[in-house]
Amino acid sequence: MPRSSHVVLVIDDEQQIRRFLRAGFEIHSFSVLEAESAGEGLKAAMLRSPDLILLDLGLPDMDGGELLERLRAWSDVPLIVLSVRADEHEKVRLLELGADDYVVKPFGMAELLARAHAAMRRHVRSSVGTPIVRAGPLSIDFVNRHVSLDGKRISLTRKEYRLLQLLGQHAGNVVTHQQLLKEIWGAGHVHFTQYLRILVRKLRHKIEADPANPTIVATELGVGYRLAQPEPAAPPIHAPERARV
Amino acid sequence: MTMGFRWWRRRGTPDPLTARPGRAKRDEFYRAIFRAAATRFPDVKLFPIITSIGLIAATTAALKLLHSVLPIDHVTLVFLVPVMICAAQWGLVPALVATLVAVAAADFFFYPPLYTFNVDDPRDIIDLVLFSCVAVVTSELAVRLRNAVQAASRREAEVRDLYAFSRRLAACTKPADIHAAIRDYLSSSLKTPAILIVGAEKPAQPPDEPLGLPDEIRAAAADLFAGRNLEPRVIAEPRGRHVWLVRPVAPEELDFGVIAVDLGTQTSSGLDAIRQRIDGALADAAATLARLDVARLIEDARQRAQTDLLRKALLGAVSHDLRTPLASIVGASTILVAAPSIRQDPRLRALLEVLHDEAGHLNDDIQNLLDAIRITNETVQAQAEWVDLADVVNAAIERRRARVANRRVDVQLPGDLPLVKVEARLIEQAFGHVLQNAAKYSPLGSPIVVRAAAEADRVVLSVRDEGIGLTREEIEHIWERSFRGARHPDVNGTGLGLWIARAFVVANGGTIEAVSAGPRCGTTISIALPVVPYETEEAEEACDA
Repeated sequence: MPRSSHVVLVIDDEQQIRRFLRAGFEIHSFSVLEAESAGEGLKAAMLRSPDLILLDLGLPDMDGGELLERLRAWSDVPLIVLSVRADEHEKVRLLELGADDYVVKPFGMAELLARAHAAMRRHVRSSVGTPIVRAGPLSIDFVNRHVSLDGKRISLTRKEYRLLQLLGQHAGNVVTHQQLLKEIWGAGHVHFTQYLRILVRKLRHKIEADPANPTIVATELGVGYRLAQPEPAAPPIHAPERARV
Repeated sequence: MTMGFRWWRRRGTPDPLTARPGRAKRDEFYRAIFRAAATRFPDVKLFPIITSIGLIAATTAALKLLHSVLPIDHVTLVFLVPVMICAAQWGLVPALVATLVAVAAADFFFYPPLYTFNVDDPRDIIDLVLFSCVAVVTSELAVRLRNAVQAASRREAEVRDLYAFSRRLAACTKPADIHAAIRDYLSSSLKTPAILIVGAEKPAQPPDEPLGLPDEIRAAAADLFAGRNLEPRVIAEPRGRHVWLVRPVAPEELDFGVIAVDLGTQTSSGLDAIRQRIDGALADAAATLARLDVARLIEDARQRAQTDLLRKALLGAVSHDLRTPLASIVGASTILVAAPSIRQDPRLRALLEVLHDEAGHLNDDIQNLLDAIRITNETVQAQAEWVDLADVVNAAIERRRARVANRRVDVQLPGDLPLVKVEARLIEQAFGHVLQNAAKYSPLGSPIVVRAAAEADRVVLSVRDEGIGLTREEIEHIWERSFRGARHPDVNGTGLGLWIARAFVVANGGTIEAVSAGPRCGTTISIALPVVPYETEEAEEACDA
């Protein structure tokens, strides 16, 4: 993916956050726009048409949800929410209003970049139309409705495929419980989380090497699921020793 | 009413115990007469009778004067006028006295033979008898009319008083205002001189008792407050012969106070009427007091809510102010890692790891502090949803990867573990604390085993380490806030972890317990969560369709 021309708009009222984000994105060849307030951010989004927006929750002049609604009225630009841990409901609300993903403060640059790239790929896919999404050993062929694992086709039930398709459309980004429940079982079932848990278990048994320790369909506790996409964007802090389990 | 009788007594009657013996005999005679009169005719007054007689005398004199100029028959007709005046003004007894005196006067001064009480003409006798009958009947009618008018105006005054009273009650904002209103109302409308309201604040010591409250009444009020006798009581004060009513302001609520009303000297029928009025007034007052009580509760709740809001705002600000710089530090350290010059220098890299890890610890500590404040100040309410415990365990291990990196974490979860209905984040936090604790107090490279098992109505998630174990005394105290094991002062920590873990598990309807065979024998901490039955088959079908 060419990275030279990407423009990221950071909407955050904290100067020190904007400063480190500027450094982080500039190192990765983005050009960075900054906005201190929601109003300023909306204006910049309109005039400069950025490729990515980072939106901090808790801006003094406007509710994040309102900004998102206004923005989504005319733009499908990839948008990542910067939140704190306590804002569980706010996070889900913004995801439902059209945010692509979120990161929880404090977050690492690698994590943020991975989310950002996933969101930008989603944007490209939706405008160009990409027939195949890959996640590790898994590939989903949207045209033929085929799912294959390490090149071998596997058979899924209709609902399992629908789940994978939804996650695949947002590959790398989180999809909320409510979004999944609504798409798979209909609007009357958005609170039947148990259905979703069972379905995910079944799917994991078919696609994960170790269903108890999933690497493809990742859980975002209290929010939703994410189709994991390994992103070699930046080296993790504890690179060598990942001797878990 | 007994005003007249009392008027007499006030003027003339000394107390029998204090009177001197010579006067006592004479007084005894008068008293006997008046007592008899008072019992027969409770309304009798001396002044109206004398005035009635005077009125008849004046009429007689005037008639006599007129008669000398212009002789008239049927003087008795004229006598009806003063008799009616007496009846309308003072009631039946003065009217009857006036009638008698009028008959006597007519006979004496006008019917021949004059200046004797004899009558010559039998028609005159009939005339006098007829006069008497007419006088009595019209007097009776006049008295009834008078009574009706009096009653109407009294009722009007009562209603006016009561209206003013309820208007005043409506404006009351403090119990003391209401007490003052009751006192004023009863004193003015019932004309009862002594009213006592014992304040609610200090039930044992009536704060504002008027002078001259008899001991018996005081004792009865104290009795009420002690809860020995809650019924309204009418008590006769033995010395002054006054009757007192002692009752709580509100029948069920002693806090509103006790009221004692001096009813004077009452007959039992008068007593009933006055008690009804007092009951009515006090019912209004009690309702207002109850309303004030509700208002006070509302006020309290409002203040609590405000304090809550303030605390939340403060917490939000603190957490924001601490985390924003922390986010910059962590973010910056992850950027620096990517810089080529640092990547090539292992010493700089190690330094960066320290920076990153310590910032992570600081972030955890802030989270713990916020959780601790939340647990202390409000009851943690879980936002329960269906959760796969395997997800919770994986997320907790993932988030504490750095902390458990040097232990062998062995996760053994059955694939068909029932779902639990909990708030995932709280259980993740609780389990994370338990896991972190296990890592903290066990040697490097030792295994930590995470197991889960479904039981009849619960799922038990356990963490077993091969660490320092627990003494019997430590087992009793590890769930307390800020408890730190004394055997290992070198291990860092705030002592909040397990306390928070317990609070979060309990908030989700679960239990948590620690088992250890003793020091150096390892520890097993188990979190048990209730399993809410759900239609497994239905869910399976919903997934397969």
